[in-house]
Order: sequence, then structure tokens, then C-alpha cells
Amino acid sequence: MEAVARRKAAAYVCRSCTRQFQRQLRRNYSNSAPRPDIYDVVCVGGGPAGLSLLTALRANPVTSHLRVALVEAQDLSKVKSWKLPPNKYSNRCSSLTPTSALFLDQIGAWEHLDQTRVQPYHEMQVWDGVTDARIEFDWAPGSAPVEGTTIAYMNENLNLTSGLLKRLEQLGGVSVFEGANVENITFGEEMEDLDLSQWPVVHISGGKQLTARLLVGADGANSPVRAFAGIDAKGWDYNRHGVVATLEMEGEGWGGEHTKIAYQRFLPTGPVAMLPMPGNVATLVWSTTPENASLLKSLSPKDFVAMVNAAFRLSTVDLAFMHTQGTDQDDEYSWRLQHTSFNPRAIPQTVVGVQEGTVASFPLKMRHADTYIGERVALVGDAAHTIHPLAGQGLNQGQGDVQSLVKTIEFAVTHGQDIGSIMSLESYVSERYTANHVLLGVVDKLHKLYSAGSGPLVPLRSLGLNAVNALGPLKSFFMKQAAGSGTKIF
Amino acid sequence: MLPSSPLRQLAPTMARRVRNPKTVARLASIPQYSAPVTTTSSPSATTQRWHSNHTSSPSGPSSSSSSSSSSSSVNPDEISHFNALAATWWDPHGSSRALHLMNPLRHDFIQNCRSSSPYSSFTVLTEDASDLLPPSSDAAHNTTHNTANVQKLRYLDIGCGGGIFAESAARLPTTSSVLAIDPSPGVLAIARSHAKKDPGLSPKLTYLSSTIESLPTLKPEAVTQKFDVVSCFEVIEHVDHPSLFLDHVAQFVKPGGWLVMSTIARTWTSWFTTNFMAEDVLGIVPKGTHDWHKYINEYELRGYFEETEEKRRFWGRPRAMGVVYVPGLGWKEVPGSEKVGNYFLGVQRLAGEDNA
Amino acid sequence: MEASALRRSAALVARASTRNAIRPAVCAAISNSSTSSTPPTQLQTQQTRQFSALNRPPPNYPGHVPLTRLERLGLFVGSGLISLADPRRGDLIASFAEATATPYFIYRLRDAMLSHPTGRRILRLRPRITSQSLNIPYLRSLPPNTVGRTYIDWLDREGVSPDTRSAVRYIDDEECAYVMQRYRECHDFYHALTGLPIVREGEVALKAFEFANTLLPMTGFSVFAAFTMKKSEQKRFREIYFPWAVKNGLRAKEVINVFWEEELERDVDDLRRELGVEPPPDLREIRKREREEKRRRKEMERMMSGRSGGPEDDVLQKAEKEAEVVAERVKEMKDEVVEKVGEVVGSSSMRV
Repeated sequence: MEAVARRKAAAYVCRSCTRQFQRQLRRNYSNSAPRPDIYDVVCVGGGPAGLSLLTALRANPVTSHLRVALVEAQDLSKVKSWKLPPNKYSNRCSSLTPTSALFLDQIGAWEHLDQTRVQPYHEMQVWDGVTDARIEFDWAPGSAPVEGTTIAYMNENLNLTSGLLKRLEQLGGVSVFEGANVENITFGEEMEDLDLSQWPVVHISGGKQLTARLLVGADGANSPVRAFAGIDAKGWDYNRHGVVATLEMEGEGWGGEHTKIAYQRFLPTGPVAMLPMPGNVATLVWSTTPENASLLKSLSPKDFVAMVNAAFRLSTVDLAFMHTQGTDQDDEYSWRLQHTSFNPRAIPQTVVGVQEGTVASFPLKMRHADTYIGERVALVGDAAHTIHPLAGQGLNQGQGDVQSLVKTIEFAVTHGQDIGSIMSLESYVSERYTANHVLLGVVDKLHKLYSAGSGPLVPLRSLGLNAVNALGPLKSFFMKQAAGSGTKIF
Repeated sequence: MLPSSPLRQLAPTMARRVRNPKTVARLASIPQYSAPVTTTSSPSATTQRWHSNHTSSPSGPSSSSSSSSSSSSVNPDEISHFNALAATWWDPHGSSRALHLMNPLRHDFIQNCRSSSPYSSFTVLTEDASDLLPPSSDAAHNTTHNTANVQKLRYLDIGCGGGIFAESAARLPTTSSVLAIDPSPGVLAIARSHAKKDPGLSPKLTYLSSTIESLPTLKPEAVTQKFDVVSCFEVIEHVDHPSLFLDHVAQFVKPGGWLVMSTIARTWTSWFTTNFMAEDVLGIVPKGTHDWHKYINEYELRGYFEETEEKRRFWGRPRAMGVVYVPGLGWKEVPGSEKVGNYFLGVQRLAGEDNA
Repeated sequence: MEASALRRSAALVARASTRNAIRPAVCAAISNSSTSSTPPTQLQTQQTRQFSALNRPPPNYPGHVPLTRLERLGLFVGSGLISLADPRRGDLIASFAEATATPYFIYRLRDAMLSHPTGRRILRLRPRITSQSLNIPYLRSLPPNTVGRTYIDWLDREGVSPDTRSAVRYIDDEECAYVMQRYRECHDFYHALTGLPIVREGEVALKAFEFANTLLPMTGFSVFAAFTMKKSEQKRFREIYFPWAVKNGLRAKEVINVFWEEELERDVDDLRRELGVEPPPDLREIRKREREEKRRRKEMERMMSGRSGGPEDDVLQKAEKEAEVVAERVKEMKDEVVEKVGEVVGSSSMRV
């Protein structure tokens, strides 16, 4: 009985006070409605953002006394025990900047990732599919930052979430409600000596109700928490889909095992990127029209491989035509290859196969919530913003949000602030909003700039790209920004 | 007690402004209000005015909010002014925003003061002990690190207002209890109703409608048990006789404990920023909040604690921290600015005897 | 028959002059032997920017002459100026076409082919149009309204052969070189499709059509030849053929994507409908009608003036008039011959 009572208490303050409060509650409400189950932080959504938030809160001695809960619709035990054979990779991969990796390391999660499945890359080749203007992000001698030459780490999302779950299990202390859908979010009640009328109450399937001092929406682009808080998210759909696949390459890359290279080519339909995974494996992210995406998904493995090889080699005219063919892209590709000139060392090695069942697509959007906070509500990750994947920043933005929110909560706890109040959450918004907004804007403009197949923008953008490529310091500035190791400019 | 205090000499010359009678009348409707008992022995005309203003109001004594006063250093006009502000006290974008933003710095300053001295008062609280250990003179000589893990502090917040500092102090894991007093029943009502919104506060936080002068009568154990931290933030500039006020406060500070204050220096800069700009031009602070003539300079306040040998034995060396409000960024510590505008001053009580 | 013989000799002259006209070709031939050790790679197009006249890379295809930028500029200026001064230099007009097409336009035309299934098939199969590849007797045996029959009838009427095309030399990309070749070889099919004759007026109209359709710069420049035409022809061009060419050239599908070899048995009107080309008024008919009109008008004038004379001098006057008519007739015939010769020369220079 005592244990139950303790669980239901507000954990923000010391244990003895909690008990004192609990005794009071029992005295006053023993015959009335069920006592509210109060948590300091209720996080809705067990994706990378939500899990790293809880991990960071549990790992931090200042915030580890907070009573925290996780609500996730999926069965997390499956995620935790996720395992694939060494030569198979999931098609949903993300690039983690060194900054994100450092944060994950600080909260003790990095070591729980299967390191044999994490692939750092050190160089990038980005070029314009229309004009072939190119920027090579390789570290000139002497320009490499002291932290190392890693631009980012390629990693399967499941490896990250699985590692975070393992770390959370090690830390303990999180009330996990998995396989639980959020059915409704309401406000609490006002009682004689306790007024919870501004506290969110999360109703989950099975009838359980969780009252939150701070409700964190890590629940994705269609965030129910955001809807509850009445925060609008503005933006647009790109009318593009991201086609992903796990690819088998002819070799482990031009730079060998130790200098892996990421490639991205801007096509008028959207950028196509090939990112290195361990060994001969690479992961594909191809932003293209929904029609092209459904065609790509319908192709035989042979023709799909031909299309991917074509996407990095052939002219946009050839590519456009090959998207009108129902089949035989392989044959078309081998003919056009004879009449197309390129430097084979400047593009990814030839794709020789595609892992079965990994070709999939998802729609691309740009969304930015008007704010990330409300009274007793904070949004992180995709719930706050959805970005075009061309810069590989989506997951990193979410990690940046989490890092900032945890810092904000830590400050609030050490200064006696209510972690759910707008006053304490303000610094989270002011730290993240502008930075995210600038990044969203830049990526959005990049997408639009490179969507033009012809017109006055095409030579201008090539001039810009070539100019940046020629200017060493400017280029290394961009590289450090991309790696998240540069000076904070926003 | 301290006849030669410069503050005392300063006090009678301070000008007082006449408040809008409407704000006084509005107080009558606040239900928590109750009339203080008029057993005054104070020579101050202002105290009498305070009484006369309120005896016409409907009264309903209640155990929790009644206050009795033998004398008061608090200006009744000030009380009515803050009563009128009560409604917006907790609005993060309201007139008290600057105070909300300053609050974390108060904790930083207290932390700063406490860690500056090897001596500390503290209260050891075992898991089930609901009663505080009796204060002993030995406690003052114990070093903090011996018992760091179980050290819990008792706070007294004088002039707590809507409870911005009191609530935050009560939330700290290192706090055992907070007694927050304020003579304005209106703001205390706001403070109480706001504290109700956080279930974690009620076990630790107690509000009492009281002046510092009437506190020993209302809560005798406050004098015997004393406090590890006695705070009076943005209070002294609203008090008619600051030195008398401080004389009263001294008895509540535990030996080894700290008296922490914040106020505004009386300079042209502070007049320009807090009166002219903040109140008249920008309106970020309600008009009539500050009376520039009541501002106390850092050297004046410091002087009170250092003026006699007796005082120097009783109090440690005062520590000051100047802060500047930067619009858009909030409060920032700026060394040296204590001479110019807002500043904190903290002083540790050394002697064990109250009649210093 | 006489005209066709004249035309052929003119073509021969033009072809003979090619040999000593193109200096770079000689240079290329010399340097080829010295640099043939470098194997051709896929990076050929990138390398063309970096060699000098003394160090010429090997050809990308048989007959290819890699040019430096300076040489290309020289070819552009030289061929342009000389062919303006001397319109009979068909070889130079061909060179001019290649010099102006290279930086952008030929790629556009190639891409237009690559964007079209048939165009791609043509590029993949690379058919050539010659008197050998086309079965001429078979074409003559086709029903009258077929594409093949229309084509052969047009060749016969104009007295030309499909074999009078110069080879492409100065386009570096071998695929684009084929595109240029294909364009040249299809030119007579466009004539047949539109029915435009090879007289200067017809050529200019077809060039305007081609320019609107292919955007090849040379076709655009050729339209300036309209200013060398007679006043009456210019008027006709302005009022009838230029508007027709622009309208049809822009509206029609890319004619480069027609696989002519496969359309020979098709109804020509059906193909015209599919491509969106409506044949212009028959130029030869108009010209014939106008000439007859002119003659009739003169005869009428003479008759009128004859009747107004006095009765005594009737016989004498009649004889004088007849002498005049004969003289005029001779002058007319002379004009006609001159015009015919001019046509032949003009068309040979523009049929490139």
C-alpha cells in the first residue's frame, strides 16, 4: 500500500515530503475520485528523440530524481532485441553528427549501439546533376579539425533506438507504457487543496491516466501533444517522396575502409544520396516525385540497381526517359553508359545489388511548429519540425532539441523553477527555435534552388558551388558546420 | 539599538508618495483580507495611516491569514500597491516578468554566499524526522562537507509577494522548509492559490500574513529555531525605516546562516532605468512600484553591517553582486554594477547571541 | 534535265573546294599520327579543352577533327564570313553549322532525341540515309500518297540525290556528331514532307521551319538569306512562308525524332497530322502561276496598244509589235535561265 502510494506521489521534491503529501492526500481524498498519478515528465513517443530525452534525464544526477514515464504505441521489447545478420542492414538510416554522437556518449548510450554497424564517413562529394558543378568536402592537409575528420556517422535508426533502450534499462526508473496509444489528453481537476486544472492528463489505452508536470511531445510529425497544446505547425509538402534502399556495392568505396565517402547528386526531381555503411553496403536516399518513387518500387532488382547507377551517372534527360519505361532500365543503362562521360572516381562505385525488401518510400514535408512550448508542454524532434532529408539533419536537430531541453530542465531543477512552467521552458525555445528555423530555411531553399532543371538559377548555383569549392577556408567552414563542430553562428 | 545608523537618519527624510485611493478601495473585495490588531506602540505616523486605511474594510479573522503587529516598518501604501498587482504576479509575460527572470540569480547568489564560507548553519534531517533538530551553537562550527548529503535548509522569505522566490526555494531538493511572510493579504491569496497548483509544494511551503515585527508573536518558534537562509528580495526599498527593519530581521538568522537581500542603488542611472524607463516609458514595471528616494546604495547597506565593532562581530563581511537587466537576454551579473543599479547583498551571521 | 546537270556540277565544284579549304583538317591529319598513342577514354570531352594544335588528341570517331577553342572560334568567324560572301560554299556552311551548334544547340537536339522513344531508338541504331540504304526502285513502286513515294517523287522533281551530304568533322561528341549527320540526312525528308522546292525561296522557308523546330543556330542564320531574294519573293516570304514556318515549326513535334526509314509506307497526310505539320501552298505552283500571269498581262497590254493604232500603218505596226514580243520573250527566257542557274547554286549551298 505504501509502495503504491509512493508511486502516485509527485516526485519532484524529496521522498519524505512526497510521503507527507501522500498521507495528506489519503486523508483528504480516501473516499473520492481516484488519486491522480502524477509524473514530473511524461514523454509521448519512444523514437530517437523521446528515448534520448529520458536517457539524458535519467543519466543526469540533477534530474535523475524526477519521476518520468514513457508512452509508446510500439512494442519496445522488439526494438530492444532488434538484431540483423552482419551483412543485412535496415533501410532506415540516419546520419549522426559528431555533436549528436558526443551527446549520446555523454548520456552513456553510444556504447550500447552495435559499433560494428556504425559507419563514420570522412568526405562528401556533392554535385549538380544538370551542370556537373561540384563541391568536394575532403579535408585539405591542415584544415582537419582536432576532433577528427569524421563528418558524420551513418547508423541504422533501429541501432540507435535499441541502444537507447538498453541504456535506459540499465539506468532504470522509467515507467514505460509500451503498446499504448494516446487516446486523449485532457486537463486535470481542481480539488480543495490541489489545483491540477492546468496539468495535462494523458489517457492511454487500457484506461490509465498519467498526469504530467511536463508533457513532452516526441510523438512525430502528427504530434497529438502538439494538437493538445494548440500549437500550429506551418509548412508545405514537397510533393516528393524519399526512396530508401540498402545497396550492395562492388567494393568498399574509393577511399577504402578508412576513408568513407558520402555522395549526393542534385537532380531536378530532388537530390539522390548514397551513404556508406560498413563493408560493401551503402544506403540510398533518393528524393523524387511520387510517380517516380512508385515506379522505382515496382522495378525488378536488376532494373532498380540500373536506375540507381544511372542516377549518379547519366544525364537528367536519360534519367527522365528511363522513368517512363516500365521495365528494361538495365538494358537502357548499359547502352547510355557508353555515351556518357564521367570521372568514375568522383562518383560512388557501381551498385551491384539491392537487399531484398528494403526499397521503400515516405513523403517529404517541411513543417515548423509556431513554438515548441506551452504551459506544461514541450515539443522535441519531428513534433516540432520536419525537415527535407537532403542535409541529413532531421535526427540531429531532434538530438539538439533534447540536449537543450535537458539543459533547460536541469537549470530549472537547480533553481527551484517548475519544470513545466513557460518561464522555465522559455530558454529551450530561444536556444533552439532560431537555429532550427535557419536550418529548415536553408535546406528548403537548397531544395528549391536545385529543383530547377533550367533557367537563370542553374548557372548561378553552379557558379556558387564552384566558388565555394575553390575557397578553402569557406569550404572547411561549411564542413565544420555540417559536422556540427563549427563555431555556433546561430 | 543602533542609534547612529545612517539608514535610520536617512529614513525620516524619505519622501512618500500619495497613492491612488482607488487601489486601496479595491483591496476591500479580496476575501482573504483581515484587519490587523491595532495594538500599536510605533511612533511612526505611517503605521497609523496603514491602520486607518484598513479598519474600514470588512474583517473576518481566520487562523491562517490573520496578522498582529506591534510595530511595522512596512509602508501601508506599498502594501496596497502590491495588492493591486497581485492578479498579474504569475503571468510570465506580465508586469512581474523581470522578477521571474531575476529569480534564478537569487539562488545563484545564495549558493555563492554559502559556498564562500567554511562555516554553515544547517539542519540535519533524517529520513523520518519531521521535526527539525534544535539549533546548537556547535552546528555553526561544523563544516558543510561532513554532512553534505543530509543537509537541508530552512528558509524565511520576508516580503514574499506572490511567492516567486518562496516557491522556488521550496522546490529545491536541499530545502527542508520555507516560511514565507508578507503583510499584503491580496498577494498572499495569490501566492497560496498558485502554490496549490503544484502538489510538491504544500509539504514544505507555509505562507503567513505577517510583518517581520509581528512574526515572533504569530510564530514564536521562528525566533527560537531560526533559519539557515533569511531572504528579503526587493523589499528594503519599500520599507520606511530600513535599519529598524534589519534590526528585527537579525534575530531570525541562525548563527552560520545567511541574510540575503536585493535592492536598487539610488543613482541617476537607477532613476533613469527603473523609474523613468521601466515605469514611465516602457511600462515593463507598473507605475508607482518604485520610489526612487527610498533606494539604498550599496555602501549604505553595507555600512549598516559594518558600522560598529559589535556589528562586525555579529555579521561577517557582506558580499555583493551587481546585476543588470538586458532586454531580450534577462539579468546578467556585471561586476561593479552594484554601485549603479540592482544588486544583491548577502551577509553571514557569526555570533550566537541575538542581542548584538 | 539541263538544270539538274548544272546543279550537279555546282555540287562537284563545292565538294572539290572542300579539300583545300579546311586548314585545320590538314593539321589534324598531321598531328593525328603523332598523338595516336593516347587511348581514347570516357573523359574525352573534358580533355578537349586542354590540348594545343601541336598536340591533338585522337579522333572520337572516324573523320573527327578535334579543335582547340581558338580554332573553333576561327572556324566560326572564317566559315561565317566566307559563306556570307560566297553562298556557293556549301562545305563552309556545313562547317559553320557545326561551329555554331557545338556549345549548346547540338546537345539540345540530342537531348530532344533522348527524350523521345523513337529518337532514342534512332540514336541507338544509328541508321544512315543514302541511296544504298534506301531501296529507290521500291520507293517508286509505293502507292502515290505514301511517305516513300512522296519522297522519291520530290527527289525526282527536284533532281537531287540523297548522297550529297558532307560528313561531320568538328563536333567532338561522337553521339552529337551523329545527331548532326542525321539532321543533314533527314533534310530532304522535310522537303518532301512540306513540299518546299530547293529554290532559294523554298530553302529559306524550310530553314525557318527547322530553326523553329530544332533551334540549330545555322538554320536561323540561313533565314537572313531571305534579304538576298527578289522584292516579290521577299514579300511572299514575309506574308506566306515565314508565318507558316514559325507556326508549324513551333507547333510540330520534333521532326528529328521521325524514324523515316520506318515511315516510308505510311500515308503522308497521316504523318503530317501526327507531327502537326500542314504543307504550305505549293511554291512551284505559285511561281509558275505568277510567271504566266505576268506574261498574259504583257500580252494583254500589247493587244490593247495594237488596237489603238491607225489602219494604214496596221501591217507595219503589227510587224514591229511582233518583233518587240519576240525580243521580250527572249529576255524572259534569258531571265528564266539565269534564275534556274541561281536556284541550283543557291540550293546546293543551302542544302547542307
